[in-house]
Amino acid sequence: MPPSRRRPVPTPPTTRPRVAGLRKRTDPPPTPVEDTRAAGGARPENDPATSRDERPAPATEPTGSPADGLATDPTADAAVAGQTAARPGAGTHAEPATDTSVGGRTTGRRAAEPAHLDSDTLPSDRDITRSTEVTGLIEPREDTEPEDETPDTRPRPTGRRKRTGEAVAAGVLADPQPEHAKSEADDWADRHTDDRTGPGLVLPIALVVLAALLVGLGAWFQSRAGQVAYNEALVDSAGTTEVAGQAREAVEKAFSYNYADVSTTEKAANELLVGKAKCQYNAIFGPVRTLAPEQKLVVTVKAVSSGVTALDGDRATVLLFLDQVTTRTTDNQSGGGIAMMRVGAQRVDGRWKVDNMEMFGQTGDQAAETAKC
Amino acid sequence: MDVRRWALPVAAVLAVLAAGYAVWSGVSWWSASSNDSVAFSRERDEVLRVGQVGIANFTTLDYKKVDADLDRWLESSTGELRAEIEDGRDKRKKQIEDAKTVTVSRVLDAAVTELDARAGKAHLIAVVETTVTPEGGQAVKKVNRYQTDLTRTDGGWKLSALGPVAAGGA
Repeated sequence: MPPSRRRPVPTPPTTRPRVAGLRKRTDPPPTPVEDTRAAGGARPENDPATSRDERPAPATEPTGSPADGLATDPTADAAVAGQTAARPGAGTHAEPATDTSVGGRTTGRRAAEPAHLDSDTLPSDRDITRSTEVTGLIEPREDTEPEDETPDTRPRPTGRRKRTGEAVAAGVLADPQPEHAKSEADDWADRHTDDRTGPGLVLPIALVVLAALLVGLGAWFQSRAGQVAYNEALVDSAGTTEVAGQAREAVEKAFSYNYADVSTTEKAANELLVGKAKCQYNAIFGPVRTLAPEQKLVVTVKAVSSGVTALDGDRATVLLFLDQVTTRTTDNQSGGGIAMMRVGAQRVDGRWKVDNMEMFGQTGDQAAETAKC
Repeated sequence: MDVRRWALPVAAVLAVLAAGYAVWSGVSWWSASSNDSVAFSRERDEVLRVGQVGIANFTTLDYKKVDADLDRWLESSTGELRAEIEDGRDKRKKQIEDAKTVTVSRVLDAAVTELDARAGKAHLIAVVETTVTPEGGQAVKKVNRYQTDLTRTDGGWKLSALGPVAAGGA
């Protein structure tokens, strides 16, 4: 395969387009085009024909030819079209190239023969195209045929790689130049713009980012500082003593009962218990209150130990150990009991009041009653 | 170009302000979290934790692994309480093994009532739910109240006294 490619490349490539054009000229232009692609020679007809006939005005025609080529042959365009289309001069040359590629090597060979015949015309076309647009690029191609040295560098590799020297060379040559030119220009522009914007704005942007990070860090520190709020139980010894004392007093007064002086208990309960605690108090103390009048009960509750488990501003939780002594004055029988109670306290108007009571080791009925609150 | 002219100064000012804020908030956090009150609060929490664990240990005893449980008692105690356990260990072990009971406890609530961080002394009260299960028998649940003294040792806080809070006061 490779040798066949190489062989046709040198001589035929230039000739091909012309040859194809000649042949195709005879044939109807539109239909043959597609066929040629399949066959390999069709396109050259249109393009070469235009190039030959219109040689005097190469610039205009070449542009037209590539367009035609693109429109007519989507496949060919896909292969080389993108690059060729961009450049009119290249386009003319490119088309033949595409044909060769599409048609395969066989077409190239076939074309090669007629090419020799048309060789005279070919150079002229090439010259035109060269002069118009891609002169620098194109020249190497032609050179390749007559002069191996110059063309060798550029066209040969391309030709070797894929297709016939000319066609491939044209596409390759044409493409690299514009690409390089564009890319280089863009790079320059980018660099310059970057350089200009860079030194001016990079530092400020970096500082702003740094500032944002610092603000975030500071906010985090501040939130941590706010969360440092610790449990002041025992830490604030005066406050701890105060809340413990008032919680004890509230419970002792509310649960101590003398059948002869009910109002004292009721008053204390009303004053010292708030919210949920009132309901809980009724659940716990209800049975005693119903029995008290008929049994003439005297109930004394004393907190024997207390510990503040939590103290935070106006809220506190206190654990109380209670002793209860109940005396039935009707027969002077007394009994005692112990209880453990967790009390929630809330400071209202400078006074700690009980707003929650939880008994440990409650009997089932009592627990059920208090659970309703 | 105008942007470039004022961008740098503005950004610099922002960065400086942000740095100042970060330093201020960092210092406030540090001072808030490193003062004596916070340290004392942590000490109290530690006492509470050790006290709860210690009381739970001392109210848990399985006749099938008395030695392990008694070792844990010793580990949690110091001073008089530890000496008491060591002295009465054999007797206690025999009692438990004869009774064939499994006692498991958990602390429902506890409060540190006194804490002298400098002297390393503390007092704590606790509500303990104890479940006693004799072999082949029904488990019995009871809620008791305990008080304990804690002493700080080289190995941390340890229980130095423990007992129930009986009716009529400590």
